[in-house]
Amino acid sequence: MTSAGNFSSIFTSSGSDFINPSPTKLGFLNFPLTFPQRINTEPLRIFAPIKAIEGSRMQSVDVEVKSNGCVVMNDSDESNGLIVSESFGSMNVVWHKCSVEKSDRQEMLQQKGCVIWITGLSGSGKSTVACALTRVLHARGKLTYVLDGDNVRHGLNADLTFKPEDRAENIRRIGEVAKLFADAGVICIVSAISPYRKDRDSCRSMLPDGDFIEVFMDIPLCVCEARDPKGLYKLARAGKIKGFTGIDDPYEAPLNSELVLHQDGEVCPPPEAMAEKVISYLESKGYLQA
Amino acid sequence: MSAMGNATNVFWHECAVGKLERQKLINQQGCVVWITGLSGSGKSTLACSLNRELHARGKLSYVLDGDNVRHGLNKNLGFSPEDRTENIRRVGEVAKLFAEAGLICIASLISPYRKDRDACRAMLTDANFIEVFMNMPLKVCEERDSKGLYKLARAGKIKGFTGIDDPYEPPLNCEIKIEQKNGVCPTPCDMAVQVVSYLDVNGFLHA
Repeated sequence: MTSAGNFSSIFTSSGSDFINPSPTKLGFLNFPLTFPQRINTEPLRIFAPIKAIEGSRMQSVDVEVKSNGCVVMNDSDESNGLIVSESFGSMNVVWHKCSVEKSDRQEMLQQKGCVIWITGLSGSGKSTVACALTRVLHARGKLTYVLDGDNVRHGLNADLTFKPEDRAENIRRIGEVAKLFADAGVICIVSAISPYRKDRDSCRSMLPDGDFIEVFMDIPLCVCEARDPKGLYKLARAGKIKGFTGIDDPYEAPLNSELVLHQDGEVCPPPEAMAEKVISYLESKGYLQA
Repeated sequence: MSAMGNATNVFWHECAVGKLERQKLINQQGCVVWITGLSGSGKSTLACSLNRELHARGKLSYVLDGDNVRHGLNKNLGFSPEDRTENIRRVGEVAKLFAEAGLICIASLISPYRKDRDACRAMLTDANFIEVFMNMPLKVCEERDSKGLYKLARAGKIKGFTGIDDPYEPPLNCEIKIEQKNGVCPTPCDMAVQVVSYLDVNGFLHA
């Protein structure tokens, strides 16, 4: 921990000096800040990194400078923010910000990172809606990425089968990656059958409240089977695929998903209409702005 | 025909919005900056300063390191040789996804085995894998011993610790080498500038 003595040498400078804490101590880049002119009776509180520690988050220290110039160091878990006091007038203070946080990235992208988890039977339209959603969001200048269950099984999850334990691990890994994307500020759209409620709920618990948006493609099995876009239902009915969801493996429908996309009577709405429903939800919850 | 787990039942789904479109949107090119080196060589320090420098330039980057990976995606892995290999493989695959999404993904891991790092390089097309070697002498890293691990390793309390009783295989053809100049370590700022210059010159900082 850097001692208070080191910081006090910073704050005794006067006028328009640039105060430049040693980068080897604090380890980050500088940017100059100008103090506001308005009187502020709050003590100066600055959040500073101590040092980068491999494999761990930056630690921050709350440096309190009282109005009499005395510097006090307190431990703090906070890592953002800079509240300045007029007592330093218009002195330029060069400081190091701790790290780039999710909020910084969101501010830059003008959106909030989240996970849109589209679940449903094979052939229910998950990938189709995911694509439509990504097209519309992209047209609105939003950065999205689709994690398609099938695509992930060609890369990260290429070592997994369709046995129950591997299905669980498949979903767990997708959930963890989606969480990383959301933290990066990306609107991450997951499109995966994800048939077991326990596994989906586990992914929900990985994210802050509200950031996991479950979308249930509530399309009847007979409709999915009639589509059979990949010929898999036919193979499953012929017994050539075992443990196929909807045929000889269960699909556990969500009990409390944020959105349910279903048919209008006998007719399925077009993908763009379904995507618009999701977008209205995102808009109403503030995900399409910083 | 197919039993459970047959990859022929797993199809590839294309989408209208691809990497090029995303890159145009955020005005950069997705890539992986893979920072490798001994414990205490300054990988996290560079990852952090690089992240900050890129953000200051309006670029979207994200750091994958032991912190957010070993406790999340890779929490079911240990430190056996097979698990170390799997740890690196998974990070490589995730970094690839981030690069596909258009982000500058900074991976900061010891990643001691050349074979594993080369496997990650092979996952990415278009020369988008930028290997950064923190070429700091063991002595310097051990003196820092920022987590007290070298001390424990020397006392025999940790086995298989890279640099002490497990090998570190330095890269043979990395894109960037960070090293001392006349016995002086570069500052985090200097290191970040070195990497950002490379990215700039090679076109990654615009679409």
